[in-house]
Amino acid sequence: MKFPVLLSIFCIFIVKSTAQFRTLVLLDNQVIRETHSIFFRSLIDRGYSLTYKVADDSTLVLSKYGEALYDNLIVFAPSVEEFGGVLNVDTLTQFIDDGGNVLIAGSSVTGDVLRELASECGFEVDEEGAYVIDHLNYDVSDEGEHTKLVVDNENLIDSSVILGQPRQKIAPLIYEGTGLLADTENQLVLPLITGHSTSYSYIPGQKIKEYPHAVGKDTLLVAGLQARNNARVIFSGSLSFFSDEFFTASVQKAANGQQYEKSGNQDVAIALSQWVFKEHGQLRVKSVNHHKAGESKPPSEYTIMDNAVYNIEVEILNGGKWEPFVANDIQLEFVRIDPFIRTILKKTQNGSYEAKFKIPDVYGVYQFKVDYDRVGYTRLYSTTQVSVRPLQHTQYERFIFSAYPYYTGGFSMMIGVFLFSFVFLHFKDEDKKSKSD
Amino acid sequence: MSQTYTKKSSISKLNSKAGISSLLIFVILLLAWIAGFSSRLFAVIRFESIIHEFDPWFNYRATAYMVKHGFYNFLNWFDERAWYPLGRIVGGTVYPGLMITSGSIHYLLHLLHINVHIRDICVFLAPVFSGLTSISTYYLTKELWSKGAGLFAACFIAIVPGYISRSVAGSYDNEGIAIFALQFTYFLWIKSVKTGSVFWAVASALSYFYMVSAWGGYVFIINLIPLHVFVLLLMGRFSNRLFTSYTTFYILGLIMSMQIPFVGFQPIRTSEHMAASGVFALMFAVATLKYLQSMMSKSEFKSLVIYGGLIAAGIVFGTVVLLTYAGFIAPWSGRFYSLWDTGYAKIHIPIIASVSEHQPTTWFAFFFDLHVLVATFPAGLWYCIKNINDERVFVVLYALSAVYFAGVMVRLMLTLTPVVCILSGIAFSGLLELFLRDDEIAKPEESGDEEHTTPKNRKYDKVGRVPKMKHELNKEPDGIGPNIRTIISVVILLLLMLFAVHCTWVTSNAYSSPSIVLASYSGDGTRQILDDFREAYFWLSQNTADEARVMSWWDYGYQIAGMANRTTLVDNNTWNNSHIALVGKAMSSNESAAYTIMTALDVDYVLVIFGGVIGYSGDDINKFLWMVRIAEGEHPKDIKESNYFTEQGEFRIDGEGSPTLLNCLMYKLSYYRFGELKLDYRTPAGYDRTRNAVIGNKDFQLTYLEEAYTTEHWLVRIYRVKKPDEFNRPRIPVANRLVKSPNFVSKKSTKRKRGTLKNKPVIVKGKRLSSKQS
Repeated sequence: MKFPVLLSIFCIFIVKSTAQFRTLVLLDNQVIRETHSIFFRSLIDRGYSLTYKVADDSTLVLSKYGEALYDNLIVFAPSVEEFGGVLNVDTLTQFIDDGGNVLIAGSSVTGDVLRELASECGFEVDEEGAYVIDHLNYDVSDEGEHTKLVVDNENLIDSSVILGQPRQKIAPLIYEGTGLLADTENQLVLPLITGHSTSYSYIPGQKIKEYPHAVGKDTLLVAGLQARNNARVIFSGSLSFFSDEFFTASVQKAANGQQYEKSGNQDVAIALSQWVFKEHGQLRVKSVNHHKAGESKPPSEYTIMDNAVYNIEVEILNGGKWEPFVANDIQLEFVRIDPFIRTILKKTQNGSYEAKFKIPDVYGVYQFKVDYDRVGYTRLYSTTQVSVRPLQHTQYERFIFSAYPYYTGGFSMMIGVFLFSFVFLHFKDEDKKSKSD
Repeated sequence: MSQTYTKKSSISKLNSKAGISSLLIFVILLLAWIAGFSSRLFAVIRFESIIHEFDPWFNYRATAYMVKHGFYNFLNWFDERAWYPLGRIVGGTVYPGLMITSGSIHYLLHLLHINVHIRDICVFLAPVFSGLTSISTYYLTKELWSKGAGLFAACFIAIVPGYISRSVAGSYDNEGIAIFALQFTYFLWIKSVKTGSVFWAVASALSYFYMVSAWGGYVFIINLIPLHVFVLLLMGRFSNRLFTSYTTFYILGLIMSMQIPFVGFQPIRTSEHMAASGVFALMFAVATLKYLQSMMSKSEFKSLVIYGGLIAAGIVFGTVVLLTYAGFIAPWSGRFYSLWDTGYAKIHIPIIASVSEHQPTTWFAFFFDLHVLVATFPAGLWYCIKNINDERVFVVLYALSAVYFAGVMVRLMLTLTPVVCILSGIAFSGLLELFLRDDEIAKPEESGDEEHTTPKNRKYDKVGRVPKMKHELNKEPDGIGPNIRTIISVVILLLLMLFAVHCTWVTSNAYSSPSIVLASYSGDGTRQILDDFREAYFWLSQNTADEARVMSWWDYGYQIAGMANRTTLVDNNTWNNSHIALVGKAMSSNESAAYTIMTALDVDYVLVIFGGVIGYSGDDINKFLWMVRIAEGEHPKDIKESNYFTEQGEFRIDGEGSPTLLNCLMYKLSYYRFGELKLDYRTPAGYDRTRNAVIGNKDFQLTYLEEAYTTEHWLVRIYRVKKPDEFNRPRIPVANRLVKSPNFVSKKSTKRKRGTLKNKPVIVKGKRLSSKQS
């Protein structure tokens, strides 16, 4: 009787523990498995279970009975016009909204469904046939169209959380593919790799009649999105960026030729895959505690001018384990519509932060709010609602100095009446007339 | 005084006269109590024993809290569920008299092991107190005129609609007990002026204290009594009695009224209360002069009066102005100004003007609420003026001021009603005295007959017996024949009967609706109960998170808190205008602007009242212009009232309505999916029965909200506000895309599930794979 129950619980735990690594890989054709083997190998080495499918496979599903079958999705099928099975833009966006992570690689022949998907995430792929062209920063192996670019490490996003190491240490990258445009109003889009200021995106070999859609630094090569539910999406304009060929190629700019034995592609691609599948930069709140100074449990309500202590423990996922997160820029706000108090949380021990402050002299319903939103990290957002009440009728000052004249008045009156009643009762007047007055 | 004089007259007639007359008085008052109580039960019988309307729900909630947690916790109650996120200190912003009254009744009954639920006490409190009101009206009128007039007045006030409107069963509001306190205070005041005894003055101050604890209308007392004293002084009716009673009343009343937390220091710091202290000072000045007068010669005294008076008046006036200027005395509040200038509130404080009971009274309402009394009370007033004395000055002033105030605000009809009853009682008693007096032999039979024929009216005709007692109205013209007497008596009785019928009719038809349960009558007379409000509130209480915050217009705040037990943003305690204006702004902005306000205020649900389906006219669209006005008062840059009108200046919801109106949040929430609804065959889809028009904006989608619940008759609609993280990925709308892609047509079908790839390598048997990849 008990045994099956235990077994099923055990099974659930097994499923949960490997949950993060179920990955569906959609390919143009099975050849890509071979041409991008280094990239896939690194994933498998890190514990991912990859399911390869051709993108037009008619059996494609992402979820069954409302349960997601995969946690991550890699689309290395730039030319797909329409996915097979039940996959379409709606199911893919639903996958993202449910928290799935997606890595997409396009190319100069990006299909419509990927364009649509990109627009859903806040970026656009330049029109068909367009390449990013840079007449100054191209590789020596370029075939004359100046589309095989050398991208310096200063064009990478300045975030060691995403790149895994400071960008200065990374060798130049090779890139050949189309350009991306980001929605300027979308704050969630991250320009992971941009073009040089001399680059633009256009169809090579054609005369430029219109102003190119993407010019200079606005030309995104690889763009990322961290949605509000912390699902991550990376869209690369080039599939070959992840290829074994580019991983192992040597880099030398045609213009001024410092040669690098090995391009930075492998480092960056693997770091990006680690980021997009949330191996890096995933934060969580372990615990929140708040109490009055000198107590240890949260009160049912605070009184104005109390001294409050707020504690928060933050953890970061590191190699599959939650470890204390160390930072010195986490802020706490004490908000009632507007923040009344904004203070930096001080580190007390590893991963535990504390703020002590005096609650303002305004009653109301407040929130302790920690909103830690940094590039590369998932958004850490924690609110705790507390009510702050005014003083109780017993908590006011009992004797006020300035009221002493009145106290004297009151007490002297009492004494006076007391004495007077004695006089009134015991004073006998001979003359009756005066009494009647 | 009157007792002795009753005795005298009774001795001359019958020995048991006093006994019979007091028995009669007792029976009549008891019957008045019972009649008053039972005519207030229409709502309970037709619907059920529930709390009515809006404010009573808060009073009930507060009372229940007090009963559960005790008085001191009630006093310190900080309600974090109201006025989110500001919260409300309930103990300090409430007149606790009502809660204490029903709480102590509850306590007493439970002490006697009568286990009554606090809700039933709350429901029946006002009807019970109406009996006490009629008794205190009896005593007041007796002091002013005679016992007979008192009985008339007591019977009138027991059933007069103007008072019933605020005291039906379930209408658990301050006014229900405050009118009793008002009448009782006046009675004690008159008594103390008459006797000049400290005892009555103290009793009057205590009663005043109860009134202060019960209702903000106590300001009426603390201005009327000084006015009375002042006029008496002007009339040269200063006496030591007056001096004793006023000074005692004022000092005790002042100190006691300051014990109510909500009143606090107002009695010494606001202009509304300054008249009382001014008269207090004047009283001493006059008393000093009187004293000096007895010691000085006439000419000395005259000059002293003139110069001393001028200087004293100057000093007092100067001090008040100076203190006001320095900020120690608050100037008149806006609510008070609106009593003098009826247009004031509409311009400066729309929130006051938006309440329907703060509108000026129509002439119709006077007749509707008072019926025949409105015609007879000037007669009573005239009697009083003709036979003026100290206490009748009071009732004259009471009548004149109350008439004025009742004309300014519908709500203040309530303060007029008691004095109308008193004066009409005097008038009727005077009339009957005139026409029934001479036939002393015939009368007992006559009234006996009437008792049989019109048993319904027997409490009036008995009164005729009482005025037989000798009264100052002795000079009666002779020459009225018995026929005329009979005819006039019959006419009077008929009038009274009509009055009783009218009162019952008005009570049953106009004032006995709980307004949270609606009833409609179909063609064959069957009654349909529309219980949409409670349906919606119950839904809220069962299906939303405990700390969910519900935004609605302030009218429904107390009901949401009371019935659904959810946090509200604004409620009927309209203490914070800017917060209400914020909600008004959200309601009158377009959806995205409203969304920023709603997220700033952490709103989870929005509740609107929509009457378009059943033709309920008190819905939010009809109130909408007030929301706009209140919002405009605080945010004149964002909201402009004129934008909500058509170019012709009309407020229209159909296709010709202004685009601002057709796209504001309130409009969208009211009419979401209403365009799909076809009510009957004669009208097109989307026909609004309340405003008799087809709505102008039919097919629209909501971006930031989603419909959560709509009640059976669409009366209450609840929407859930989407959280920011539901807008997970800001997508680029097709129109804004720089790279245009051709419209894609799917090649998939139910059978063919295969996708398509460009440049798909085709495998031909026997050939080498010859495709290149990009």
